[in-house]
Amino acid sequence: MSIIKAQNLNKSFKVKIKEKGILGSLKSIVRPKYEVIKAVDNISFEVNEGEMIAFIGPNGAGKSTTIKMLTCILYPDSGEISVLGMDPTKDRKKLAYEIGTVFGQKEQLWMHLTPYDNLKFFGAIYDIEDKEIEKRIEHLKEVFELEKFINIPVRNLSLGQRIRCEIAASLIHEPKVLFLDEPTIGLDPVVKDSVRKLIKKMNKEFGTTVFFTSHDVSDIEKLCKRVIIINNGKIVLDDSMANLKYNYLNKKIVEVKLKEKIDFENVKGIEVIKSNNNNLKLEIDTRTTTLADVLKLIDDENIIDINISNTPLEDIISSIYKEGAK
Amino acid sequence: MLTAAKRQFKISMLSTKYALMRAMVNKATFVMSIVFMILNNATFIIQYLILFSLKEDVGGYTFNQVLMLWALASGTFGVAHFFFKKAFNLSETITNGKLDAYIVQPKNILLQALTSDIDSSAIGDMLYGFILIFVSGITIKKFIFFTIFLILGGFIHVAFAVILASFSFWISRSDIIADTFNSMITHINTYPEGIFGGITRVVLYTLIPVGFISYVPVQVLTSFNIMSFIYVLLFTAFIIGLAFFMFYKGLKKYSSSNLMISKI
Repeated sequence: MSIIKAQNLNKSFKVKIKEKGILGSLKSIVRPKYEVIKAVDNISFEVNEGEMIAFIGPNGAGKSTTIKMLTCILYPDSGEISVLGMDPTKDRKKLAYEIGTVFGQKEQLWMHLTPYDNLKFFGAIYDIEDKEIEKRIEHLKEVFELEKFINIPVRNLSLGQRIRCEIAASLIHEPKVLFLDEPTIGLDPVVKDSVRKLIKKMNKEFGTTVFFTSHDVSDIEKLCKRVIIINNGKIVLDDSMANLKYNYLNKKIVEVKLKEKIDFENVKGIEVIKSNNNNLKLEIDTRTTTLADVLKLIDDENIIDINISNTPLEDIISSIYKEGAK
Repeated sequence: MLTAAKRQFKISMLSTKYALMRAMVNKATFVMSIVFMILNNATFIIQYLILFSLKEDVGGYTFNQVLMLWALASGTFGVAHFFFKKAFNLSETITNGKLDAYIVQPKNILLQALTSDIDSSAIGDMLYGFILIFVSGITIKKFIFFTIFLILGGFIHVAFAVILASFSFWISRSDIIADTFNSMITHINTYPEGIFGGITRVVLYTLIPVGFISYVPVQVLTSFNIMSFIYVLLFTAFIIGLAFFMFYKGLKKYSSSNLMISKI
């Protein structure tokens, strides 16, 4: 059952253009010039209940604008949105009880209060009875491992601890859908991994639908089964992770250490990415050349070491961004 | 409807409580800011003492009425800045996309934004208002109406600030206009009505509604007149309605931002 529906969504921003220098500033007062930037260009998609979906794209692609339209922050210029059967532009308050939001770039917690006081405050915002708030805080404390710092003011916590508190606070009212806008931004790999585990646990434990944006490919790879790629305000791909890998993994990387150098220039289907004496890094296009053909070109006894791997997902996504930009 | 209003009131009070807790982290700074605000306000009355030693009245006001005027000016400013501090930098909140956190909450966006911080020195302004009204001679009736006028005047200050800030949804850097008008209303509030005449007086009951914050209340506190009291009530209701209308009309134009910011 689809829980989020977006149909033909459009959103533009009018931006003032100013020429350089003080003269430019004066000119812009007398005759201001504006440019209309289309942030979201006629996009449509659906998200099913319990799904963990990655909504990704390069900077300025329209990810945050879309997420903000789904969470009532921005009004679309045209198009229709339905989240849990409600229109965010008309049922803001009602919908707010059912959704949770975490913006990695924006702190929602009160910095001078402890995580405990913050959770109490957020509980009160959602009209939850005091006893019930205490019960939920206990549970969140356990799931998110907040015990050690629950009584320390948020401003004194590390970034990782703060993000954990942000996510915990966004779950105090047990939302059905959680919107996470770059929740792992600025975190070190260890903390990133623990945040990912928490998001996964939350999806399993609470059955929460997760709508997720991130620039970190490992976030997407480890968390989501479906990915929507947006670029220049348009959806350029909406597919499962499995299909994405299957369709785009038609290239293999072969790293080989040889006793004697072999010349692979001008061999069809093989591109030499790096060549350092007898160490070679080759990219094989498996649509034109099979790996077996490549291996035939190298004498077994000439090989000291060999490693065959898939093209990193990051490179695949980058190439989709670039294709979308064209 | 009533339950929703009660819940909203509870949350606004909780916000104020938490903001006060933060202000009280450093007790010395907290107490000093209040005491120095009272002393700062008191210096202006000394100027009037000198003036009244030379003249019988200033702008048609007796010394007692000047005390009431200052009590109202200081007290209404205190109410507005203590409970609704954020009204006076709402322009910046709008321009920098800081409304996001309030929009995603199931409460009134404007009230959530306005009550998210306090100005602790404004306690000094409120206290000073009460000190002056006692000095001017007090009765129970005068005390009750003075308190009501403080609340109504505080609301007018806040509503006026919200209307000005709402222009930020349409005009960039309109915070400069908002700051100018907000400081204008604060200063004019401390001058007796009689020194203004003609069009200026019309402006003071319309565009810069000082008349309803101080002048009419001074008249009512001097000699009670129910109609004047009703005018203040009606104007307060009107300007609050206008503030909500402007803010929510503008909210449709809100463009948020992707600045790295935190709620302090």
